[in-house]
Amino acid sequence: MGNLTTQLRHLATATLSGLFLATSGSFAEDAGNLYNTNFDINAGLRYFERQCSRCHGFDAKGNDETGAPDLTGRLARASSDVGIYNIIRTGIPGTAMLPVAADLPDAQVWQLVAYIGSLSTNPANIDLPGSVTGGARLFTDKGECNSCHMIDGQGGRLGPDLSRIGERRSPEELLSDMLNPHTDVAPRWWTMRVTDNNGTVREGLRMNEDSFSLRIMDEDSNLWSYPKNQIASFERLETSTMPSYTQTLSDSEVDDLVAYLFSLRKEN
Amino acid sequence: MNKLSLLLCGIFLALPLQAQEDPFQTVITPAFSPVTWERLVNAESEPENWMMYSGTLDSQRYSRLDQINTGNVTELEMKWSYQIPVIDRAETVPTVVDGIMFITEAPSNLTAVDARTGRVYWRYDHELPEDLRICCGRNNRGVAILGETLFMSTLDAHLVAIDARTGNVLWDVEVADYEAGYSKTAAPLIVKDKVVTGIAGGEFGIRGFIDAYDPVTGELEWRTYAIPGPGEPGNDSWSGDSWKTGGAATWITGSYDPGLNLIYWGTGNPGPDWNGDVRLGDNLYSDSALALNGDTGEIAWHFQFTPHDVHDYDSIQVPILADIEYQGSTRKVMMWANRNAFFYTIDRETGEFLEGEAYATQTWAQGLDLNGRPIPTPGMAPTYEGILVSPPIVGATNWYSPAYSQQTGLFYVTSFDGEQEFFKRDEDYEEGERFTGGGGRYNQPMDAFHSSIRAINPATAQIEWEFPIMPRSSAGITTTAGGIVFTGSADGYFFALNAASGEELWHISLGARVHAAPMTYAIDGQQFVTIASGNVVYTFGLKEN
Repeated sequence: MGNLTTQLRHLATATLSGLFLATSGSFAEDAGNLYNTNFDINAGLRYFERQCSRCHGFDAKGNDETGAPDLTGRLARASSDVGIYNIIRTGIPGTAMLPVAADLPDAQVWQLVAYIGSLSTNPANIDLPGSVTGGARLFTDKGECNSCHMIDGQGGRLGPDLSRIGERRSPEELLSDMLNPHTDVAPRWWTMRVTDNNGTVREGLRMNEDSFSLRIMDEDSNLWSYPKNQIASFERLETSTMPSYTQTLSDSEVDDLVAYLFSLRKEN
Repeated sequence: MNKLSLLLCGIFLALPLQAQEDPFQTVITPAFSPVTWERLVNAESEPENWMMYSGTLDSQRYSRLDQINTGNVTELEMKWSYQIPVIDRAETVPTVVDGIMFITEAPSNLTAVDARTGRVYWRYDHELPEDLRICCGRNNRGVAILGETLFMSTLDAHLVAIDARTGNVLWDVEVADYEAGYSKTAAPLIVKDKVVTGIAGGEFGIRGFIDAYDPVTGELEWRTYAIPGPGEPGNDSWSGDSWKTGGAATWITGSYDPGLNLIYWGTGNPGPDWNGDVRLGDNLYSDSALALNGDTGEIAWHFQFTPHDVHDYDSIQVPILADIEYQGSTRKVMMWANRNAFFYTIDRETGEFLEGEAYATQTWAQGLDLNGRPIPTPGMAPTYEGILVSPPIVGATNWYSPAYSQQTGLFYVTSFDGEQEFFKRDEDYEEGERFTGGGGRYNQPMDAFHSSIRAINPATAQIEWEFPIMPRSSAGITTTAGGIVFTGSADGYFFALNAASGEELWHISLGARVHAAPMTYAIDGQQFVTIASGNVVYTFGLKEN
């Protein structure tokens, strides 16, 4: 186990080194933010931690309880630095997103914009070692990813829809997802094992669970809804149903799949 | 008699008949009468009304109404709903007096409705500046009433007096400067002839206080700082000048014991929240229960739950007062399930610690000593790199109301077993800016944690039962003589449990988060129970045969 973990870590490090050595340029400059140096990003980070993290989280990944969105991927309300700047400056009326203090200097707002920009990976700045077309082929052939995942309406239902996965996951995260699928499994993809009052056991993906009921989808895509007080028991399996690709794909094939998945965006 | 008068007579003669036929017809002549101090002291004997935030001055949230009970609660049906026009979260606990319900709304508004139908009498929209300094959402939790005047806190740190019959503003005073980070969200508490109220802003380096105002003029009668000034006992529990920006906000409503003439009020975290290096010492009276003289506001005693807190474990919980059997005699106690995950039973005459145990998962303390002071676990203070600690910043519980049942003698609390990485940062104080010194990050999804309603025996501090819910809830609790615990959940349920056993009796999906506590009242012999969910205030009653 220890050896495998070490190997995986080495594999991840080696592959990621390949990814990020190729990174260059500054997307902030492309969008006109003059405050885009590492110094500015750090200044933005400090401001964010102090003023914004209470709602958006110290890691900027949002908070379901406060309703503050994840800022580390594509932003729903802003598609450019100027858009982010305007939201910070004016707030979003009718929500908890208040404007920053009116006397906050523009430079500081732009630094915050630079920090938020640094949280998402701009594909224009990344030259991945893998082949997108090779990855697309692997997705349906050897990898059989499409047996569970859907892209643009084609594929299975037993895993997340990946049509725009490149907007939400960095290449590093995509790599980790494939090699260590049981790490950080979202609750939506846990498995529930339900035993009804007749002793019948049914397993399915955890579509939703609340205080009094739960809903699952079995492997035949049947949807089941159970009141908790009318079943004998239920069990959560907080692991992924996805296999690890450490043994089945080579390093270069994994690189190809990462390149393909990272290319899946709205504009593509 | 002129023509208009004759016409009006005709209308009013005809209305009672219409009222019976039309369920949407507003009651024409409510028996609304002034709320005297005597009525507030004896609120328990008027269970048809809910005349203050926590129902009664002892804040038990126990109603003597028993028409809805364990035997018939499954017959509840929705009687009406009121849609709050401002889209935001509702943390309000409505007040009901003689058939009229007063509902506070985000950000700082107030509406009076017919409590039988939910139809509006009047509404008051408080004008707010655009550059508010608020840490955690645009909330308002309720009003206080004395005579025919309602008293409401506002986000710009004002206290407003409003005519209960019309919604007209009688006076509007600035309690503190919002530009310096002060704000107000909690319902005030009437104590005799004064309006007692706290302040929010613990994430902005404020200096917390509890105020008392003249209900007629709005003049400040007394102010007791939650952080002692130079020369006062406790000031030396702050290093250097850190007391000036030490927080200790007082942002939830307290309780009052008329027999002892003591006001009980909780205080919030010391500031900056997560960096204690700049405020060495116990940091009195942050994270404490304060007992104040009901006439002068002088501090009679204090009990600090979390000395030198570095995890934001506000003691912003509503103190519940009851007389309980304890080790062979009747003791006047105060019960407190703290955000720091420990439950305490304290003698409310003296502040003596009687019982205390962890009621939720915690890793920050090894336990409590004989005086109830926590024994910190070494190495659990926030670091620059982050350290995993339980409970998380939001706490094992928080501001949402617990309850007590006179039938079962149990204390009920919404509790959370979670953990979070805590980070420390260096920050300089700047007036009106956040002053927190760090923050937190969850390493697991919320569904991976455990939440529940827990019933605690205050004589032993032991958990008697628990009912699991999910995910973390910020709903308060109400108990009734019908043997019921009413509460809600973050996944949008309103539900009833058996107060003795924790058994599920009834639930309904309302579909939106419940951030509020239920309350109950009656009109013409019919009991209702009300809860806010999302932006809607729902009222339920038994089906009529």
